[in-house]
Amino acid sequence: MQLFIGGACAGKQEAVKSRFPEASWCRLVPGRPLDIWREQAMLGTTLVVTGWLPWLEEALRSETDDDALYLMLVEELQALPEAERKDALDVVLILPEVGRGIVPMAAGDRRLRDLVGRLGQEAVAHAARVWYVRHGLVQGLGQPGNTGDSR
Amino acid sequence: MIAFVSGGARSGKSRFAEQLARDWHRQSGGKRYYLATARVADDEMADRIARHRRERGEGWITLEEPRLLDEALDSVEPGSTLLLDCLTLWASQWLFGSGFSEAEGERMLAALLGKVRQNTIGLVVVSNDINEDLPPADPETWRYLAFLQGRHRQLATEADRVVEVVAGVPLDWKGMAER
Repeated sequence: MQLFIGGACAGKQEAVKSRFPEASWCRLVPGRPLDIWREQAMLGTTLVVTGWLPWLEEALRSETDDDALYLMLVEELQALPEAERKDALDVVLILPEVGRGIVPMAAGDRRLRDLVGRLGQEAVAHAARVWYVRHGLVQGLGQPGNTGDSR
Repeated sequence: MIAFVSGGARSGKSRFAEQLARDWHRQSGGKRYYLATARVADDEMADRIARHRRERGEGWITLEEPRLLDEALDSVEPGSTLLLDCLTLWASQWLFGSGFSEAEGERMLAALLGKVRQNTIGLVVVSNDINEDLPPADPETWRYLAFLQGRHRQLATEADRVVEVVAGVPLDWKGMAER
């Protein structure tokens, strides 16, 4: 599993499209189950999963227990690499970086920001490669030798 | 040569960009220009501009142009060094202070970069990173963010060097060989 993370309009989708032109894309649908990606996971292909922020925003409206929601996310993030092994699937996650601003005034925004941050950390724990996208340039994070290409 | 320098508020990006422009100027000769996009809107902005001017020190020819940056370049001698600070303010004035469109902004910036290449000017552009927060709720702020980010990507593509400044420390994203 690979993770592309970056701020709004940083060029994440373009970075993924240029690297995985044949991939199928699954945009999570707010209010629908998280495992909608299974419907589009085809044997031996690359699946891009995106749309996490609006999905979480909606989920936080109906689920008041943030930890329960977080555990659901953890389970799903564990299922993705399992599906990779089982179905020879390559999964690419696109996640937003939203934690570098002022602490929001609204409680709902603070919950959302925290949850996205926790999701990012959990996704990194399951990802084989992590890429940070900034102004259309891409750098590898974390792994030795994963220095990125800044394209 | 074109360099794009960005970072958060008070990250030291202007200071780093000024030093880079000084280094380029020392190497290439010519004149050293400072293109200010800020307009004095209130006392705080006046103080901020005065502080930046003091910190820059002597030896800069100051140009002021809040919108038509490519036209301001007509005053810059070929072979000189130009520091543009900052793109963030320009973007807000372009969209909300003039009624220009996003596409016109993209074309204007492309024209600016073309003139810079043509006249062998060393250009250092400073801007703010504002896109790693929760997305704005209102459409106009979204429009501004998307426009500014589009210009950041345009600059990052065209620039020979791209630098992120964190607490005064430069992190190179592109063109590290030129250090």
